[in-house]
Amino acid sequence: MRAFLAGARMQLRFFRAYPDGLIPFFTAPMFSIIFQMNFRHAGRQDLTAYAAIAPVFIALWWLALFNSGWTITTERWNGTIEMLVAAPSSFAANIFGRITTTTLVGVVSFVETWGVARLIFGTKVTIHHVWPFLATVVVTLAAMAGTAVAMAALFVLARNATTFSNSASFPFYVLGGILVPVSVLPHWIQPLSSAVFLSWSADLLRAALRPTPMHDFAFRLGMVAFLGACGLAVGTWSMRVILVRVRGSGELGTT
Amino acid sequence: MRNLVSNARVAWYAILSGANDYWAIFTLKSWIFGWCVRMISQVSFFALIGKLLRSDLQTEFLLVGNAVVIAAAAATFAMFMTTSERGNGTLSLLLASPSRPVVVFAARGVYVMADGVFSALLGLFILGPAFGLHFPFPRILLVIPLTLLVGTSAYCFSTFLAGVILRYREITGLVVNATIVTLMALCGVNVPVSFYPTWLGWISRCLPITNGLEAIRDVINGSPWSSIAAHTGAELLVASVWLSLALATFGRFMRAGQRDGSLEYAS
Amino acid sequence: MAAVQAVEIEEIRRVFTPRKRDPVTALDGVSLTIPVGEVHGLLGPNGAGKTTLVKILSTVLLPTDGRALVYGHDVVTETKAVRPLIGIVFGGERGLYTRLTARQNLEYWGALYRLSGAEIKERSAMLLERVGLTDRADQRVEEYSRGMKQRLHLARGLMGDARVLFLDEPTTGMDPLAAREFRTLIGELKGEGRTILLTTHDMVEAETVCDRVTLIDRGRILATETPRTLGSLISRFQRIDIDGGADRLIADIELIPGVSSVAVQPDGSTRIEVNEEGTTAVVLKQLVDAGVTSVKTSLPSLEEVYVQMIGERGLTV
Repeated sequence: MRAFLAGARMQLRFFRAYPDGLIPFFTAPMFSIIFQMNFRHAGRQDLTAYAAIAPVFIALWWLALFNSGWTITTERWNGTIEMLVAAPSSFAANIFGRITTTTLVGVVSFVETWGVARLIFGTKVTIHHVWPFLATVVVTLAAMAGTAVAMAALFVLARNATTFSNSASFPFYVLGGILVPVSVLPHWIQPLSSAVFLSWSADLLRAALRPTPMHDFAFRLGMVAFLGACGLAVGTWSMRVILVRVRGSGELGTT
Repeated sequence: MRNLVSNARVAWYAILSGANDYWAIFTLKSWIFGWCVRMISQVSFFALIGKLLRSDLQTEFLLVGNAVVIAAAAATFAMFMTTSERGNGTLSLLLASPSRPVVVFAARGVYVMADGVFSALLGLFILGPAFGLHFPFPRILLVIPLTLLVGTSAYCFSTFLAGVILRYREITGLVVNATIVTLMALCGVNVPVSFYPTWLGWISRCLPITNGLEAIRDVINGSPWSSIAAHTGAELLVASVWLSLALATFGRFMRAGQRDGSLEYAS
Repeated sequence: MAAVQAVEIEEIRRVFTPRKRDPVTALDGVSLTIPVGEVHGLLGPNGAGKTTLVKILSTVLLPTDGRALVYGHDVVTETKAVRPLIGIVFGGERGLYTRLTARQNLEYWGALYRLSGAEIKERSAMLLERVGLTDRADQRVEEYSRGMKQRLHLARGLMGDARVLFLDEPTTGMDPLAAREFRTLIGELKGEGRTILLTTHDMVEAETVCDRVTLIDRGRILATETPRTLGSLISRFQRIDIDGGADRLIADIELIPGVSSVAVQPDGSTRIEVNEEGTTAVVLKQLVDAGVTSVKTSLPSLEEVYVQMIGERGLTV
C-alpha cells in the first residue's frame, strides 16, 4: 500500500516537473471547441452533447498512452528501474499507483470540456440518467487504468513501442467511436470496435445524456469492465515477464 | 554572395542531418504502419463527422481541411528538432561556430515538413475517393504546390515559435501540441473563416494555413482563378512575415539565453 | 556457531546471452567472504565483472550458477529478507530523478523503503546534512554538479539504513577534494558498523579506504589481500633508488641476474628495478660495498600490482 501511495505522490510531482504531462489538459478544451464549432456550424445543436464527451476520451487515452505507457520505459532510461526492483516495496504496486493517479487526474478534463462548451458556446450538457452516467465514468476510469497498465508493460517488452504509441491515438478514437458512433463506420470495421472498450463506454455515456431510456445497461457496462479487466490481466502478466527479464537476463536493466 | 553560398551550404548539411535523424526514428515499415495509419485515421476521424451529419459538403470540407492540416502539423513537429539541439548538448558547439544558428535551426526540420506535405497529399488522394469525393482533374494538381506552400508557411511560423521557446525547452511538447490543435481550431480547417467573429477572423488570416487552405478549397470547388490567386498571395505574404520575424528574433532569443544561462542544460 | 558474515559468495557464475552474439561470461566461479564491518574493495578494469557482481548481490540480477548470501539470506530466494538490509549507490549521472529536488528524491526512496512519514522527513533531513547538501536540498538535481549528485546517491543509498552498502565506482569523475570528502564519509559509515563493498578503478581509493582489496579480471578473482599485502605479493618487483652512482657501478649492477632495468631519473637519481626474489639483497650489498650511502627501497604500489597482474592491456577492453 505504501508503495502504491509513494507511486501516486511521485506521479503528482512528475506532473509539475514534466510539463509535457499536461498536454491533454491543453488539448482537451481545444478539441471541445473544434467539435462544438463543427456541430453548431452544421446547425445540429442536438449533437453538441456528443461533442462534450469526445475530448474527455481523447484526454484520458492520451494520458494512458503517453504518460502511463511510458512510465516503466522512462525508469529504464533514467537508470532507476533496477533500484526500484531492489527496493523492499513492490515494484508492481508502485507502478500501479502512478498509473492510477494519472488516470484519476484525467477527470479534470471533464470539467474543462464542459466548462469550455458552456462558456464559449452556451452548450448545456444535461445528464438524463445520472447514476448510470456516474457508474459508466467510474468503470471507464478503471478500464482506462487497466489498459494503461497493459500499455506500460507492453511498451517495455515490444520493440516498436515508440511507433505504436505515436500512432495509436486516432486509430482508437475512430474504432472507439468516441465522437462519431460506431454505427456510422463501414460495416467491416464495426466488429473490431467491439473489442475496444471505448466504443461501449462512449455509447453508454451518450445514451445517458439522452432523455430516452437506456437499453441493456448492465450488459454494456459489463463489457467495459470485462475489456478493462482483460487489459489489467495482460498488464499484470507482462509486468511479471518484465521483472524476470530485469533479474534473469539482465536485458532491461540498462537501455 | 559568399555569405549566401556559405549559408546555403550550412542549410544543406542541416537538412541532411535532419533527414538522418528522421530515418533513425522511422523505418519504412513503421512509417507505413505507424505514421500513415495514424494520419489516415486522423483525417477519417473528422471526415466521418460529415457522414454523421449526412452531408457530402461537410464531408468534403472536413476531409480537405484535416488532410491539409497534416502538412502543417508535421511542420510544427519540426520544432522538436531545434530544441533537441539543446538536449544533445550540441547547441553550445553551434553557438561557437561562425555560422548563424537560425540557418541551421530553420533548415534542420525541412525534411519533416516535406514528409508532412507528402503525407497530406497521400491522405487527400487516398481518402478523397474512399469517402466518395470527386476531384476535378487536372485542376486538382494545383493542390500539390499549394499544400507545399501551406506546409512551408506553417514551418516559418514554427521556426519563429522555436526561437521563442528556445530557453524553455521543457515545455516544447506542450507548445507543439497546443499549437497544432489551436491551428486546427482557428484556421478554417473544420469550419469556414466566416463562422468566426470578425476579430477572430482577422487573427485567423494572419496565421499560417488559413489562406492557403482557402486557395485549395477554391481549386476543388472550381472557384475563379482570381480567388485562388488572391488566397495564394495572402498565404505567401503570411509565410514571409513569419519567416522574417523568425530571422529577426532568433538571434535576440539566443543572446538572451546566453545572458541568463538558460541555454545550458542538456536535459 | 559461526558468526554471520555480511556477504558470502560461493562459486558465482553469470553468463549473458545477448541476441545475435556469442554468450559472454561476466563472472566465472567467483567466491568471496566479507565479514561484518569491513570496507572491501573490488578492483579491476572495465568489463571485469565488478558491476555484475554488485547487481547479483543487490538482488537485481540472478546468477547463472552458485550462491550468494547477505547476512545469511540467499539473494535469489530470500529477496524479501535481503532488500531491507542493503543499499545501492551506483555512480554517475543516471539513477536520480533530475527534475525533482534532492529532498523529493530522498522522500520517494524513503517511502519505498517502508519508512513512516515522520521517519522519512527526519532521515532525509539528517542525511542531507550528513552529505552536506542541506543548503541545496530544494533545488532540482539537474542543477547539481557531479560531486553533489554523487553525494545524493550516497544519501539515497542510506535512506533504508542499510547494513550492507554496495558502492559502484562512486568517485568516478569527482574532483580530488570531493573524492577525499567522500572517502571520509565512507570511513564514518564503517565506524557505524556497516559493511561496504566498493568497486573502483582508483588505486589511491582502494589503498586508503579499503580494509581488503580483491583484484578481479575477466570474471575471475586474481587475489584478495590487504592493500599492503598485495603489494608485497609481488615484492620481488622491488625498486631501489640511489643518488648518483658511478657509470662503472651502474654497469656492474645491470649485469646482476634478476635486475630488470637501471634507469637515470630526471632528478639525477638512479632507479634499479628487480624482478626476482633475493636480488634486492645482492644489489644492496654491491651498492654498500661501492660506498653508496643514499639508498631507498620501496614496494610497488597497488597500481603496479594491478598493472603487473592484469597485464599491459592498456586501452583495449
